[in-house]
Amino acid sequence: MTKPIALAIKWVLIVATLAGILWIATRLAQAGNTMAVVIAGLVGMGILAVYATRRSVPLKYLVPGLLFMILFQLWPVLYTASLSTTNYGDGHLYSKQESVTDIIAQSVREVPDTPRYKMSVAIAEGGDPVTADLVLLLTKPDGSTYVGETTGLKPLPPAGVEKTSIGKITKAPGYTVLTAKQANARSKDLSAIAVPTSDGGGIKPVGLSEAFEGKATVTYDAAADKLTDAGTTPPTVYAPKDAKWVNVADATQSFPQGWKENIGLANYSRIFTDSTIRSGFLSIFIWNIAFAILSVLTTFLLGMLIALLFNDPRLRGKAIYRSLLILPYALPGFVTALVWKGMFNQDYGIINQTLNISVDWLGTPAGAKAAILITNLWLGFPYMFIVCTGALQSIPQDVREAATIDGANAFRTLRSIIMPLLLVAVGPLLLASFAFNFNNFGLIYLLTKGGPFNGADTSIGSSDLLITYAFRLAFSGSAPNYGFAAAVSVIIFLLVALMSIPGFRRTKALEEVN
Amino acid sequence: MHKRALGAAAVTGVAALALSACGGSSPTTPSDTGAAGTSKAATTTGTPETPSGTAAPVRDANVDLVIWTDADRSAAVQKYADQFAAENGVTVKVQISTDTRAQFKDATKVGKGPDVIVGAHDWLGELVQNSTVAPVNLSSDVAAKFLPKAIEATKFNGQSYGVPYAVENIGLMYNKDLVPNPPKTMDELVATGEKLVKEGKAKQVLSQFVSKVGNAYFAYPYLSAFPEGGIFAIKPNGDYDPNKVIVNTPDSIKGGDVLAELGKKKVLSTNVDDTNQDALFDTKATPFMISGPWSVAKAKEAGVNYGIAPLPSLTGGGAMRPFLGVQMFYVSSKAKNAALAQEFVTNYIPRKDVQLALFEVGKRPPALKEAYAEVAASDPDVKAWYEAGIDGSPMPNIPAMNSVWGPFGQATADIIAGKAGAKERLDAAAKEITANIAKG
Repeated sequence: MTKPIALAIKWVLIVATLAGILWIATRLAQAGNTMAVVIAGLVGMGILAVYATRRSVPLKYLVPGLLFMILFQLWPVLYTASLSTTNYGDGHLYSKQESVTDIIAQSVREVPDTPRYKMSVAIAEGGDPVTADLVLLLTKPDGSTYVGETTGLKPLPPAGVEKTSIGKITKAPGYTVLTAKQANARSKDLSAIAVPTSDGGGIKPVGLSEAFEGKATVTYDAAADKLTDAGTTPPTVYAPKDAKWVNVADATQSFPQGWKENIGLANYSRIFTDSTIRSGFLSIFIWNIAFAILSVLTTFLLGMLIALLFNDPRLRGKAIYRSLLILPYALPGFVTALVWKGMFNQDYGIINQTLNISVDWLGTPAGAKAAILITNLWLGFPYMFIVCTGALQSIPQDVREAATIDGANAFRTLRSIIMPLLLVAVGPLLLASFAFNFNNFGLIYLLTKGGPFNGADTSIGSSDLLITYAFRLAFSGSAPNYGFAAAVSVIIFLLVALMSIPGFRRTKALEEVN
Repeated sequence: MHKRALGAAAVTGVAALALSACGGSSPTTPSDTGAAGTSKAATTTGTPETPSGTAAPVRDANVDLVIWTDADRSAAVQKYADQFAAENGVTVKVQISTDTRAQFKDATKVGKGPDVIVGAHDWLGELVQNSTVAPVNLSSDVAAKFLPKAIEATKFNGQSYGVPYAVENIGLMYNKDLVPNPPKTMDELVATGEKLVKEGKAKQVLSQFVSKVGNAYFAYPYLSAFPEGGIFAIKPNGDYDPNKVIVNTPDSIKGGDVLAELGKKKVLSTNVDDTNQDALFDTKATPFMISGPWSVAKAKEAGVNYGIAPLPSLTGGGAMRPFLGVQMFYVSSKAKNAALAQEFVTNYIPRKDVQLALFEVGKRPPALKEAYAEVAASDPDVKAWYEAGIDGSPMPNIPAMNSVWGPFGQATADIIAGKAGAKERLDAAAKEITANIAKG
């Protein structure tokens, strides 16, 4: 029988979780995401079913992990994969309908030789400021006053009308002038107002105190699915092509606003057919693996050697040395990386100046790669040093003594006794370090930005990792293209997944040593 | 490893910012520092909301007008936002955004963007492309009060999208203690500089931001010094034509040859970048620096007796003509408070006192003629910067410009480093730019 207190805690936790889900669901409902609300509801019911009953005890242990795995691992992967079949990116963020609305709204031009009006937003007297039809009270530059309604412009008799010094009407019989706050609350209605005029234009507000006569030059023919811009002579016709509105007569001309659409596997076929991308991808992949392996190896060897040195009982002042050696690890990595960048400068850097050499560290592919490895060695060895020190101290002294008694020299002891025991402890950490360095975005980005870039191809840098390459595709470069970057990310994901399979096997083998 | 993993996350954030700053925008990122301290915050009632870290600000749903700006300008904007709030009986919030360009785009996409942003004019094409900004219809008599080039810069496809408040461009800064009179030509500059280096009074002839990946913004004036040189041809209506890339016309190549020659003479070097270009000038290691208003505060602090002059002219061509950058106020196309946003931008920003207050925080020449005249009368630096940019043309604000920064910048870096000849390298850059534009 469960103790009452435990039962109470259990129910408090269940209720708290359900309340959390309810809160998330209301937020999702506000955002209008019906599907997500349904899923949140199902999850809530599932939690209740699992924890409130005794039906499935194993699930009680598995559910939290499963939920988080779906939320933080599976969902991003699926989302990225679904994004990779679209052209989502700069100029292709919204729907086709939105692009039409936007293009038409942006094509409104002031009709030449028309007056600017001073304007107040008002409603018929006695109306509700929130819902009543809006009218514009207008003053021409000559001082004559008008009322603008959806039906058209009609004169406003000057009797009883009060104006500010600049001519803005503050009071008119039969109308209630809205305050700035009230008028602003109706921004949507205001932007839709166009008081029709005789020449086909419309009087539209600019802010809250001015109005101009404007006319949209672009019209949309829904039946033919074509946009016509009457602003040019002869009018230009635009038809949809490649998720953009392209001039029918001259394919080089198009509206900048395109739309998001599904393009199937086009992004993937581009990765495999575009020769620049394909060869670049391969060279980046090779360097990426080399970088991760070399980083782990160099940092581990240096860290281990120093740890062995400081593990010697005869050495004095170990505490001080050890604290000093941890310093590079304690400093923020991105500060260190920038400092190293300065030190690698060919003309002004301390490295070339001290050694009296003129190596173009950051300007040649080999130099940049060496610079990256050196910097990463500096950044990474203290970690290995700490880990190895800990592991070495856990190796009992009598094991070494036994080896010495058996006649093994220092090297033999290290190779046959200490190393295997050490690797059991640090093996998984080396794998983690490999995974970390495989995606070591910050270092590359701060040190070389992926460069130097060779020849006429600035999309692929010689020190790029896959992650910096994908980042450049997605967020900078010529035109941010999330869809294509998502496709590259999916490929990276598959590669990393494939590579980690042998890694996990190896970890299992190490565990069996214990 | 945990600590570094967290660090990596932070770095990614920082990097994202740095990246978008270097990617497409004008290199105005290092600007404003130092000058911010001079802003007058005395009468502000509210204080701008400071973000924690570099994340985008969170929009406050209960406010009638939300403005995003960078930290330096926030105090000045806040002061007039408060005035506007009091006058109209509404609440206005000024929020600091660390990377307005990217954060505005992303926040607007999910319906959480601000109503008004402050930014550079060369964002315009990208913002229009992504349907994030609304037209702002200034009346012609108000528009006439601004410098014509500033108004021109706020237009895209003939539509006007905001109100400018400042112009900026690069010029030649020189150390008056070493060089009493600024050189008129590049040959003269090199001769003077080399003489000083020989005499041991300087270590380097000139400091100019080149870097290993190149800098298109600083390299452009070498091309524009020749009549047909530049990046895009101009359409009959005055817009830049994305279909006519001219970085490899014979005249542009002449400019490339100058870069190659200066690289050979070590006047220009890929080892000079944003991290050391100011330091070289401020430690008097070089008598000349090509830079913008953002470098003045540091030079002043270092006690350099500096002068500002127009960029020199090149042999066989004319004067180097820099890009003009225009700082402006945009209204979001998805603004929740469109009416107030339009009202604020069209009625407040064209005011002289607002333009003067914004001048104080950036020290860039005001875009309003009246405000410029007042400032220029008392501040010789502003006058000098303005005159250095008088022949410049606005930086292209078409989205295609995003395809230019990388390839063209790298080409100039390679030419300066002597990795490739000017013609060969600029031809290749033109090809890459054209291909990128076609892809975009």
